[in-house]
Amino acid sequence: MKPGENKGEPILSISGLTKFYGKIHAVDGLSVEVDKGQVFGILGPNGSGKTTTLSILLDLIRPNGGKFEWFGSSPSKGSRKRIGSVIESPNFYPYMNGTRNLKIIAEIRDLKYEDHERVLKITGLFDRRKDKFRTYSFGMKQRLAIASALMGNPEVLILDEPTNGLDPQGIAQMRGIIQDVAKEGTTIIIASHLLDEVQKICSHVAVLNKGKMLFSGKVSEMLSVSDAFELSSSDNDHLKKVIMNHPLFGSLEPKDEMIHVVFKGRVVAEEINSFLYQNGVILSHLAERRRTLEQHFLELLQDNA
Amino acid sequence: MIKLFRIEFKKILTYKTFWILVGLYFLFLVLGIIMAQYILNNIVNDINKHSPIPLPHVTLYFFPEVWQNVTFFASIRYVLIFPAIIIMILITNEFTNKTIRQNIVTGMSKQEFLVSKLQFIFLLSLVITIILTVFIIILGISNSDEQQMKLMWHGLVFIPVFFLQVTVFMIFAFFCGFLLRNTGLAIALFTLYSLIIEPVVYFILKIPFLQPNQVSQYLPVNAVIRLVEYPSISMLHKVMNLNLQEGVNTMHCLIVILYAVVMIGLVFLVMHRKDL
Repeated sequence: MKPGENKGEPILSISGLTKFYGKIHAVDGLSVEVDKGQVFGILGPNGSGKTTTLSILLDLIRPNGGKFEWFGSSPSKGSRKRIGSVIESPNFYPYMNGTRNLKIIAEIRDLKYEDHERVLKITGLFDRRKDKFRTYSFGMKQRLAIASALMGNPEVLILDEPTNGLDPQGIAQMRGIIQDVAKEGTTIIIASHLLDEVQKICSHVAVLNKGKMLFSGKVSEMLSVSDAFELSSSDNDHLKKVIMNHPLFGSLEPKDEMIHVVFKGRVVAEEINSFLYQNGVILSHLAERRRTLEQHFLELLQDNA
Repeated sequence: MIKLFRIEFKKILTYKTFWILVGLYFLFLVLGIIMAQYILNNIVNDINKHSPIPLPHVTLYFFPEVWQNVTFFASIRYVLIFPAIIIMILITNEFTNKTIRQNIVTGMSKQEFLVSKLQFIFLLSLVITIILTVFIIILGISNSDEQQMKLMWHGLVFIPVFFLQVTVFMIFAFFCGFLLRNTGLAIALFTLYSLIIEPVVYFILKIPFLQPNQVSQYLPVNAVIRLVEYPSISMLHKVMNLNLQEGVNTMHCLIVILYAVVMIGLVFLVMHRKDL
């Protein structure tokens, strides 16, 4: 079973969450539910309200409206101790070394055992653990942030742009870590503006723009929400008229000699072909263009611009 | 409580700036107190060169007057500013390094964060007071005759008063650092206010026709500093006709405590309301 496929107990439920700065709605009536074991991606361009949302969920920012619950009860310091998180930039005491910084985390978390060596090894920082935080490169700081989030095996992991500032090797490593943690059943919430990242790691996704949620569901559903085809015939004008009558017709766009058609649901090539044939159109070209998450994402943003 | 202190202690343990400033503060304090008598007597010597009636030499370190003399010096604004700056650095660092966010996200409550800082202020103040007390006792024993030794503990009341002064002054600094969130700005404004602005305002309010309402007495920094009055230096006493401080004015202490309570209350309110 893939992570997140079971409809489990709710870990986080958000309803009508709102935060505005003056006239700007940073988060606008957001309602989402995250269940145990899901790898939940929050996808959106810069300034779409991802970090604000996560900051509210971790009690850094007070919302203007709406509410949220962790583990089925009101948020508290107790619930935060069950959540490991990396928000925005890695924040540590610059004059302390990696190990000492992690020991402070352990103290706040009430960890009864030493866990810093394990997480330093996982994140590849063990050799630099005795060096001061301020001597770390940005990538290493980000690794320490991930290490601190992993301390004590929390039930939930919140990661805000976890691969930000990492080199390609670091990005691959980080994804490996996230996938390993997910396999153990940890619920993970990832905010990202990288579609590729969400597509590779997440089981579920919510798309945000300007604080509003545009889509929420399984990543696989989002991928197959609609499909696109390239069509052409000897009479493209007639083809256009006919295809617009298809029950699942979404939009079309002429491209050179062809017509690019997007459907609102799962449509297979044979069905298109027979539909057009029955309506007197004989195709000279038919090709399926499975849209990437990126195209779908950009469309979602455009529709709601 | 002990847990919060352990966290706070871990934060400062390897923070060099903190230890250097604390070291400088104690050095300044001890040297200042030892130098005070020497400097005053140099002045007396200068006066005596031109004066037909020689003034007696000043002695500061005998019991029981050493209690007031030393706590007075240790609580003038130029000395109190030291621990205040240390506290402002510690609190504003949490904002500039954004470690306050990290602390909260990791599982500290906002209230616990404030309590841990206030607790630290109390403890630092206690340590300063204890060190000063030990220093006063050493000075007193080595400078008192038998008669004066009998009065050894007569000025002990100045010790809790000094503790109150240091604690409240650090709470002012905490308040300022917490609201401004920026190290340089907090230190600059706080120093400017307590060393220049308030003395100027105090002076203006002292203008005779404003005198009756006594507002000047209630300016926060002045309210703290006046708890230990000008010491009974025998020379000054005779020349300037100053009155000896008989005891501690409870009302004055309560005003200072009220200031501290209001500032702590405001800090908790702002912490609750404002985003981090």
